[in-house]
Amino acid sequence: MSQLQTRFFTDNKKYSVDDVPFSIPAASEVQELSNVINKLLEAKNGSHSQIEFDFLVRGQFLRTSLSNHMEAEGISTEDVVEIEYVERFTAPQPEECMMHDDWISSVEADSEWILTGSYDKTARIWSLEGKAVMTVAGHTDVVKDVAWVRRDGLTSLLLTASLDQTILLWEWNSERNKLKARHCCRGHAGSVDTIATDPTLATEEEEEVEEPPSRPRKKQKTEQLGLTRTPLMTLSGHNEAVSSVLWLDSEEICSASWDHTIRLWDAETGSVKTTLTGSKVFNHISYSPLCRRLASGSTDRHVRLWDPRSKDGSLVLLSLTSHSGWVTAVKWAPSHEHQLVSGSLDNLVKLWDTRSCKTPLYDVSAHEDKVLCVDWTDSRVRHHLYSPGETTHI
Amino acid sequence: MRTVNLESQKNGTMSKAKEKSAKKRVVEEDDDQIFQLPIFGKDEKKAGEEDDADLSDSEESVFSGLEDSGSDSHDEEEDAEEGDDEEDDDAVILDEILTKSRGVETATEPPATDKNTPTPDVKTAPKQKRKMKKGEGVAMDDGGEKGLSTTRLGDEYEHDTSDEEDIRNTVGNIPMEWYQDYPHIGYNLDGKKIFKPIRNKDELDEFLDKMENPDYWRTVHDKTTASDIRLSDEQVDLVHRLQKGQFGDVNFNEYEPSVDFFTNEVMIHPVTNRPQDKRSFIPSLIEKEKVSKLVHAIKMGWIKPRKPKETTPQYYDLWAKEDPNAILGRHKMHVPAPKMRLPGHEESYNPPPEYLLTEEERMAWEQQDAEDRKLPFLPQKHSCLRAVPAFSRFIHERFERCLDLYLCPRQRKMRVNVNPEDLIPKLPKPKDLQPFPTTMSLVYIGHSSLVRSISASPTGQWLVSGSDDCTVRLWEVNTGRCMKTLEVGGAVKSVVWNPNPAVCLVAVCFESTVLLLNPGLGDRLVVSSTDQLITSYEPPEEDKEQAVTWALSEGPEHDNGHRLTLTHPKAVKQVVWHGKGDYLASVMPDNSSNLQVLIHQVSKRRTQNPFRKNKGLVQCVSFHPLRPYFFVATQRYVRVYNLIKQELTKKLMTNCKWISSMAIHPGGDNLICGSYDCRLAWFDLDLSTKPYKMLRHHKKALRGVAYHKHYPLFASGADDGSVIICHGMVYNDLLQNPLIVPVKVLKGHQITHDLGVLDVTFHPTQPWVFSSGADATIRLFT
Repeated sequence: MSQLQTRFFTDNKKYSVDDVPFSIPAASEVQELSNVINKLLEAKNGSHSQIEFDFLVRGQFLRTSLSNHMEAEGISTEDVVEIEYVERFTAPQPEECMMHDDWISSVEADSEWILTGSYDKTARIWSLEGKAVMTVAGHTDVVKDVAWVRRDGLTSLLLTASLDQTILLWEWNSERNKLKARHCCRGHAGSVDTIATDPTLATEEEEEVEEPPSRPRKKQKTEQLGLTRTPLMTLSGHNEAVSSVLWLDSEEICSASWDHTIRLWDAETGSVKTTLTGSKVFNHISYSPLCRRLASGSTDRHVRLWDPRSKDGSLVLLSLTSHSGWVTAVKWAPSHEHQLVSGSLDNLVKLWDTRSCKTPLYDVSAHEDKVLCVDWTDSRVRHHLYSPGETTHI
Repeated sequence: MRTVNLESQKNGTMSKAKEKSAKKRVVEEDDDQIFQLPIFGKDEKKAGEEDDADLSDSEESVFSGLEDSGSDSHDEEEDAEEGDDEEDDDAVILDEILTKSRGVETATEPPATDKNTPTPDVKTAPKQKRKMKKGEGVAMDDGGEKGLSTTRLGDEYEHDTSDEEDIRNTVGNIPMEWYQDYPHIGYNLDGKKIFKPIRNKDELDEFLDKMENPDYWRTVHDKTTASDIRLSDEQVDLVHRLQKGQFGDVNFNEYEPSVDFFTNEVMIHPVTNRPQDKRSFIPSLIEKEKVSKLVHAIKMGWIKPRKPKETTPQYYDLWAKEDPNAILGRHKMHVPAPKMRLPGHEESYNPPPEYLLTEEERMAWEQQDAEDRKLPFLPQKHSCLRAVPAFSRFIHERFERCLDLYLCPRQRKMRVNVNPEDLIPKLPKPKDLQPFPTTMSLVYIGHSSLVRSISASPTGQWLVSGSDDCTVRLWEVNTGRCMKTLEVGGAVKSVVWNPNPAVCLVAVCFESTVLLLNPGLGDRLVVSSTDQLITSYEPPEEDKEQAVTWALSEGPEHDNGHRLTLTHPKAVKQVVWHGKGDYLASVMPDNSSNLQVLIHQVSKRRTQNPFRKNKGLVQCVSFHPLRPYFFVATQRYVRVYNLIKQELTKKLMTNCKWISSMAIHPGGDNLICGSYDCRLAWFDLDLSTKPYKMLRHHKKALRGVAYHKHYPLFASGADDGSVIICHGMVYNDLLQNPLIVPVKVLKGHQITHDLGVLDVTFHPTQPWVFSSGADATIRLFT
């Protein structure tokens, strides 16, 4: 049995061990390494309780035995191996199930409330405990997307987009539990499938609206006072349905479309800055300001990571392949640089770590039907929405 | 020595110069030799005369010509008639000597020769010559006598007898008849006259002499001296020896041991004792010069050094160019007759017990046909060889063997070895032809019975389906959500979305009704404008009788989306829109009337029947996407009509038994036909009225075919539950035929009641295909 010289280190001061090389059997796997660390910590601190660790060798998660991993990665076994260890991210468990009468088309969570849009033409506000607080009814057709705009104390602004080609801006007072429709935004010639709000603007109204798979145009609206508002700007250029929009920052808008492109727009002028061309239809995109990457879910079952800053366009940084159906939703973790979730039509939600691109960290298979939307909250709370109307809360 | 000379003289090649020198010498000769000289002189003269052209000389040499002496003798007798008897005597005597010596009685010959007819006088010159020869022969005899007599071995060069002249008579070599009239015949060396004998012998004397004189046979007449000479024994001996071809000298040993002066044996001592020359020690300058020239030439490359000879023998293939069809070639193809099987244990007279058949086996054997039997005979056991009966099947077996030998064709089959892969046409790999649908992505569940027909909206966001459960459902494509369910009054046979994006209408046919629906999906403006278009109709002033009744829906039906109802006289099987979205064609299959196809105009609510004649049971119809053509598929043919000129343009022979479905390429020049006999026919309308390609990929009847609007793809769905996607690239270049490559078999539908896929349609923008099946589902493959 060959031995490897290893050195363990971690960022977490709580679990740090002495910086000395250890001789570890080459065939040892994560469990054995974890035991070693736990032994060391126990020797250092008598009150230490058993903790599961995950190990990274040169930025890649260890999933097989140490020797196999190093062979696959082409790391020399002669030198001292630097192994980083982190506390294992525990498997998500469904905590709460929120029942809708119909399919849920979208979900958006913040620290206190969860907003969902449904095919029963309503949107709902839920508490984190899974209690329906408010039903937003006003659309004449299916609610396709929802978004929080701003929360000032007890008063919140929220947006709902619908198949009836309108976007409604609502003001909701959580204390009095009163809802008031403030504006109706018109201008789309098809169903509005996706909306995004600019998170950086503190001023009241700044929303954009995305257009559905009906017209090769996309429109952005900034609402003015008044009941009915018209678009401030129309971004047109996509040949087919726009499936997803988001703000990269206050000046840049990113949109994904069925015409196999992701476009970056200048919010001031409305012109295309960059086009990323893929080979398949994009269903959803997500942007992480932490790692400055775009994640896209497409119909060929892959989650792809893009660098939106790259000028030469269509460079795929990483492909995450495990789903067996269309990837309908992707979302970066708001507080973790490497983690994202993806939902797919194969009824699975997968939690990925970009340091382990071969296999996802966890599969969440509590869903019985197609997953249409996923979201995170800061407090490590994740919501899934599925078509039959279950929300799982971790 | 002398004999040698004689022989050389016989050849008569003595030169005149030699003669002269000889004559000079003659003067100095002794008396002994004088006797011979005239003979030789005469001989030489004769040689001088004849010189060039005496051909008879060789023939009539003394010894070889003896047998011809008959002819000689009668010549001489002519001479004798002229008066020269002596010469005759000469010849005769010599003849007689010779013949007697041979022991042949030739005594009667001379008279016989006498009787010979005289030759004309013209011949005198040749006769003379012959006489000379006789003389020569005699002279030789004399010479021989002389030689024999003078056996001394003195100075052999003292008198050279080779050119001695006859010195007995000095007149020389002249014709002796010149002396006929004289008493003398010449002069001797002393100048005294040689007188003739006093009396010439006449015939009688001759005869008597012959009879009486015992020495007559050895008596020779000398013409020059006109005297008879009696040959001594030695002389006769000499004559005999010469006649036998022996040397004249008895003592001459012709086989003396030869001394080999230079022998092949290496001797110890040199043959000559001469010291070697100095030049043999000095290198030759000339040779050096030659060698240096050669060396220079070799260096300059003017002379190529000799190639070493190849030691390996060179062979060539004698049969390399042999014609395989020639007889020898056919011999190679000879297949020997198979050998007869050798007898085994079964044939033994005393086979081991395991080869003997049991009773049941014997029964089975007897019941079998003779051809099915494993063995043609029953193995039998005999106690001894003597007890074995005659082999009853002998003739039969021989006969069969003969049949085998001459009836069985034994020749090698000329089989062409073709690699099967070479026969496959070179097609691009499917992975190079992407994109095309590969996997099933979504299943649209909701119908409760088989889904007959599906159609996608022009934008690709919605899908409409019609089912046997009497409902029409509208689906959101990307989620699989059923947005609306509309009940209609019967099993839906066909649904078609209006291809015009500015109009939101779906044509649905069930039973004998065609229903135009407004699904109310998509752009509100479009939906409302469509409703407006329908309500804005103003009926014409004169009401024409129409085959169908148009009715506007109202009340709850209107709220459900029903807009117009077209009630047909018969059951409608198919509806199809024109590309512009205003015209609509419906099919009412009926074998017995001409009212099978109706074309409706929605905006004017007008209906017309374009055909007056019934050309067969119409299966499906289609509009040309660009030009005013109309395709009508009956059971076996597809007819193309020009709607403006109102005439038949083309009739396509499908070679199918029953067409089930048809689709037109968006370019309009190609067409595919699916048929119930599992075939898909691709027609290139520019090429021919026969199918360009027949594809037989499906195991069961085809139900639906479709072209993609933009991608070079077409799909076919069949009762075997599979959808086959083919790459069908049509080129703008008229010279290039369409490229058809099957790329994918998509499976997913379950076979229900022996029905699989009922309809296929492509997404208008993406390379996705929808299929509807008898298992009440619609599936999306991407």
